[in-house]
Amino acid sequence: MKDKPYYPIIYMFVITAFFSSILIGLAQLTRHRVEVNEQLGFERAVVQAFPEIQYQDNRQIHDIFTERFEKDDRIGAYRYKKDGQLAGYAVPFEGQGFWDKIRGIIGIAADCQTIRGVAFYEQKETPGLGARIDEDEFRRQFIDKKIEYSDEPIGIVPAARTLDDNKVHAVTGATQTSIRLEALMNRDIRAWLDAMQAKEITP
Amino acid sequence: MSPAKPTRQIMLDGLWRDNPIFRQVLGICSTLAVTNVVLNTLVMCVSLTLVTAMSCMTVSLLRDWTPKNIRMMVQTLVIAFYVIIVDLMLKAYWPQMSRNLGPFVGLIITNCIIMGRCEAFAGANPMRPAFIDGLFSGMGYSFVLLAISVFRELFGMGSLLGYNMPYFSTAYWDNWIIMVMPPGAFFALASIIWLCRSIKMRETKS
Repeated sequence: MKDKPYYPIIYMFVITAFFSSILIGLAQLTRHRVEVNEQLGFERAVVQAFPEIQYQDNRQIHDIFTERFEKDDRIGAYRYKKDGQLAGYAVPFEGQGFWDKIRGIIGIAADCQTIRGVAFYEQKETPGLGARIDEDEFRRQFIDKKIEYSDEPIGIVPAARTLDDNKVHAVTGATQTSIRLEALMNRDIRAWLDAMQAKEITP
Repeated sequence: MSPAKPTRQIMLDGLWRDNPIFRQVLGICSTLAVTNVVLNTLVMCVSLTLVTAMSCMTVSLLRDWTPKNIRMMVQTLVIAFYVIIVDLMLKAYWPQMSRNLGPFVGLIITNCIIMGRCEAFAGANPMRPAFIDGLFSGMGYSFVLLAISVFRELFGMGSLLGYNMPYFSTAYWDNWIIMVMPPGAFFALASIIWLCRSIKMRETKS
């Protein structure tokens, strides 16, 4: 049996099927928990997109999310309410990064111009380089910038360039991540703005 | 086949004489990446040690049926199997850690230590020694990584396992930011390799 030419092929099939079925079973068992965790990760990103919100633990994040954020399918974003007043929008963005999908939330003030904050809930960029977009240092740069400034969208520019009201410094060494992030953020912000305008015309 | 190594020798080899990091210089990519905070390192080390030990045992179990020409494929499959289990467990029960370690859990698959031990030892030895060899190679890796991370977190942030340390978290101590950044790992790793090899050289001379 072992010296037959087809033996390695059959062996590989059998052993792959065996290990894979165990993994599929385990993935099924943990699926519910993983989904709950992912939902919480999303809610945390929404809350973090408004850095003024203080929270202690996961329970509180969930409470804040359900109390103050309200999904509006027409604009594909969440309305943020503070003391009963509209205080901004949490606009989700996603797209292909350098390695895998980047997904995040950008918090935009009620004036539809000023950025309140940016947070990510999924990214698998290069650790130590692209993955640093998730660090406070990079994310904080967005606070109080404009989504559009003299007709230009948000720019993520090399560290040597000077910044104006809608530019932030890229992570050095993460050119591909920066280019893609800039494009996908602007694309989804544009889509949201268009949806907002369409909604105003037909309320 | 060479005569079986005594268990004690397998343990010593993994921990010290053939230590994966400072003797074989294997698997240092993760050494550089996850050692800036002790807690991340600890989880990474436990994961890697478990995966190495279990993979070595499984590869050894299958060694009589595995055709030689596809053994690497089988090894990769076995390693990936255990890594995915670790990844799933972290995602389900410790999402924060899963996020901190990011793609590094998945990258355990490519950690040269595991493949190296499977190929060099587990493929030609019975299950028990293979398991012990994997376990102690993992522990040899772990103690070097932990040593590096202790220095990096202490000097770079003034804390250990997230707790502020006396003296290091006060105004007397200026945090060495470079220790937390990737280049800091190079210095720390180089110093540890230097230190361990110097001790070892003295050992062999006497």
